[in-house]
Amino acid sequence: MEYEILIKANLKQHKGGFIGIFILILLISSALSMVLSVWRNSEYYIKSEMERTGFGEITAWVSEVSDEKELIGEIEALNEIERAEIQSLIFSNYRIKEQESDSEGQLITFQSQENRYRFFTDDLLAYREEELEIMPREIYVSPSMISMFGAEIGDEIIFPIVRGGKNMVFTIKGFYEDPFMGSSMIEMKGFLICETDRNEILSLLEDAGIDALARDGAMIHIFTEADSEITIAELNTMINEKTLLPEYAEFVHSKEAIKGFMLILQNAFSGLLLAFVIVLLFVTIVVISHNIGSTIEADTVNMGILKTIGFTAGKLRGIQLMQYLLLMIAGIFFGVFLAIPLSGLVIQATITTTGVRIPIRLWGLGCGVAFAAIIILFVVFILWRTGEINTITPMKAIRKERNKLGIFFEKRISVLGGGLYFRLAFRQLMTGKRRYIGAGIVAIFLVFFASLVGRMNSWLGADGKGMMDAFNPADHDIGVQVFGNLTTEEAEDMVRSYSDITDTYLLAMQGVAVNGIDYTANVISEPERFHILEGRSCMADNEIVLTEFVAADLDVAIGDMVMVRGDKGMEEYVVSGIYSCANDMGDNVGMSREGYLKIGYDNPSIWCWHYFLSDPSKKGDIMEALETAYGGDIHVHENSWSGLYGIIAAMKVLMIFMYGIVFVFILIITVMTGSKILSAEQKDFGIYKAIGFRSEKLRMIFALRFGMVAVIGAGIGVILAEIFTDLLVSTVMKFAGISNFMSVLSISNVLMSAGVVILLFMGFSYFASGKIEKLDMTILMEE
Amino acid sequence: MKKVLMSGKNVCKSFSQNGGSVQVLNHIDVDIYKGDFTVIMGASGAGKSTFLYALSGMDSMTEGKVEYKGKEISNFDEKRMAKLRAEEFGFVFQQTHLVSNLTLFENVAVTGFVKGTRNTKEVRERAMKLLCQMHVKNAKDRLPSQVSGGEAQRAAIARAMMNSPGLIFADEPTGALNRSNSEEVIHLLSQINEKGQSILMVTHDIRAAIHGNRILYLEDGKIFDELELPNYGEDDIRARESKVNDWLVSLQW
Repeated sequence: MEYEILIKANLKQHKGGFIGIFILILLISSALSMVLSVWRNSEYYIKSEMERTGFGEITAWVSEVSDEKELIGEIEALNEIERAEIQSLIFSNYRIKEQESDSEGQLITFQSQENRYRFFTDDLLAYREEELEIMPREIYVSPSMISMFGAEIGDEIIFPIVRGGKNMVFTIKGFYEDPFMGSSMIEMKGFLICETDRNEILSLLEDAGIDALARDGAMIHIFTEADSEITIAELNTMINEKTLLPEYAEFVHSKEAIKGFMLILQNAFSGLLLAFVIVLLFVTIVVISHNIGSTIEADTVNMGILKTIGFTAGKLRGIQLMQYLLLMIAGIFFGVFLAIPLSGLVIQATITTTGVRIPIRLWGLGCGVAFAAIIILFVVFILWRTGEINTITPMKAIRKERNKLGIFFEKRISVLGGGLYFRLAFRQLMTGKRRYIGAGIVAIFLVFFASLVGRMNSWLGADGKGMMDAFNPADHDIGVQVFGNLTTEEAEDMVRSYSDITDTYLLAMQGVAVNGIDYTANVISEPERFHILEGRSCMADNEIVLTEFVAADLDVAIGDMVMVRGDKGMEEYVVSGIYSCANDMGDNVGMSREGYLKIGYDNPSIWCWHYFLSDPSKKGDIMEALETAYGGDIHVHENSWSGLYGIIAAMKVLMIFMYGIVFVFILIITVMTGSKILSAEQKDFGIYKAIGFRSEKLRMIFALRFGMVAVIGAGIGVILAEIFTDLLVSTVMKFAGISNFMSVLSISNVLMSAGVVILLFMGFSYFASGKIEKLDMTILMEE
Repeated sequence: MKKVLMSGKNVCKSFSQNGGSVQVLNHIDVDIYKGDFTVIMGASGAGKSTFLYALSGMDSMTEGKVEYKGKEISNFDEKRMAKLRAEEFGFVFQQTHLVSNLTLFENVAVTGFVKGTRNTKEVRERAMKLLCQMHVKNAKDRLPSQVSGGEAQRAAIARAMMNSPGLIFADEPTGALNRSNSEEVIHLLSQINEKGQSILMVTHDIRAAIHGNRILYLEDGKIFDELELPNYGEDDIRARESKVNDWLVSLQW
């Protein structure tokens, strides 16, 4: 009973601080539940949907297979293979809203009886219930086409099938969920069409001969036996060595690799949000610490009195612990419920980027474990922090010894001289510095994280150049690939009519097997252009460079030998260096043109000419002119990627969310700290008013104190961000295959993060100091 | 002929208490003269401090108006009131009320900067001079918590004097001091009054009150009576004390 009475009294007396802490825990709880649930559900959903829709351990994309049955039989005859299934498709480039695709689209024939795909309602808020039939010239696309190309229902997509303008034009009828290629992080895209249209395309191709632009192909889904322990690398090697698949394969991906592509965004941003929640957790600990300190300070006399009537320090600490536990449990409880609609909002907002509708349900186990850990952390901290209650003796408390504010500094900076208000603020800050430690630490944490995200944003750049540099094996302004009768010289002449070409090189992306495992080889005519991280580039024709991910997978280092197989033959190469290229999540290698031609056939159509322009601003005009003039005979791309816009948009959402939370946290900490300081110093404010200070000036001085604390905190936060950003972000980026993340300290990201935090501290403290205006000066009266 | 420095007209102040209203100041009319050392006395709870705070603008009135040097100040906004406090008024409180984290010297000098018309050197010199006059020069670099109550109160008087105010308001300036410190503080107030400084002081201490040349007696929220005295030092102190004492006895104090 005594606990109930005292806890109720405490909660009533210190309700401001407790409400603040409740809100902080509520925010942490909802953000954490949301992040964990979205992360877990994404992982689980993609995996289960890939299984449901029939994707095997490995999927090979093949074209021009002479005898599909024979190939399937060959694969199924292998040990450890349970079965192989074929799904027909047509490879073709496409154009939508005047934008050329960078990768070929895959026109997949929809068969309603398969029940393989799910279709969204037009508003993307749910799945369609009714059975769907695709009519001729209708096409269904992934919702990620919205973020990649701005696609809408009713838009036309043009697929050039045969030279001479024999195109197939489809109208977008709706959106479907593609758990395999649906994310905007994956350039290759699947399109659902009807059998009639497929047959029409095939008949066009049959008569086209060398003028064909599209290709008949298929996906071969390869399933291993249930009890098989074969690794993906071993499976890949076995299939490559014992079947004819390499002759027909355009590319091969494992289920795990595709799942990785599909989850890049969710995992990267869940990781960042989780890191932010951890930062907020520390901020909340700081706030609780501050609140415990000031509560003990305010209640010292009461605690002394309670001790005189028989309360032990242990009991008093127990009361403190129980009241915070109550707050925590309430905050976590309501936060978890809030997480459900929040998750729904996030999933709905990101469906045009992720391409899938992640189920909205809480991950009970994960959240439970996380919250149990958080509660244990808080309990241990609160027990430690309330330790000073042990030192309170009744007499000390009644004499209010603890309340005497120590002024420890002897070498004071005089308040006299220029900048009186600044000097006074500094003196007040130094006098009560203990009270501002909490605000200072909060500033450090928040600026650190804001600065970290700011630096990532700067690295990404407004046009995503940072990301593109990470994905591209070498820099360029535009790339031009010519087909058919069109010559490179003709294309170059058109480029020069807009801008001089300052430099050029050739790049081809060819499938190879390194030590039996399939990778994409970036083959370049000027290997010195590779972004080398370690060692040197592959200058000789028996050298190769690997990403650090491939080197780790193959367990090789610089100087080791690897066996590389191409479509012509097999040779041994020495690893000359480690380079960075995040394509295929880092699963790629780099070779010189001479090196590749030892094992691969040369063909003019495999080479893409990469140009540097004297006037890069003409890129758009050049691309439009080339596409208009040569249509299906040319493929033009710039140093960009349509999936990038999804990342840039997600980064913007993250920034808005982060600054929103920063806003709330600073508001709470400032109001909590400020009200306690105002209450402790109201007599001083009365004195200042009595000698002629105006309230407005006193409020300004008050805000200046918080400004100074924030400046110090922000300075430390920026330094910490300088030290730790690259280390921490690189760890997250490696999940996306990016190994060369390097941020720079720029005025804009420092000003943005530190400036916002400093201004918020000052603004909110000025707002919180409104009580000074209303301060009754009779407080100085002793009657 | 004395010149009116401040006048209160129909000054009323009431507080709400337990659902009702308590009238603390009840339609008081008063003039405070330039150069006078005016003392307000009265029984405990008579509203002495409330009256002082109402006249000085530190507290609002329920009714009435206050004029200072012929200008009504009771309708001043915060900005004009702050200017008036900085330039024309000085305050000495019972509990000294020095800013706890400023040294005695800084407490005095800051007041000089608020006025804003003097340069740093002038302010420093003036503050030092006043601290010397108040005999606290040696403690000037100490914080209020590091000096005795008497030293702190003398520094508070120096602070009140800093901007050469037209009127010093003193609310029980000796109320928290021991006898020797009280005498020293009241002696200093007398000295500055001799030099022409107008003072309005609330006290319940006869030894302090006899330093005034005019004593107002407050009872039931009204000025019940007043006593005029020669300037302090112009007559016999014992006779003066006896006169004040007799007067107070007659008022059943």
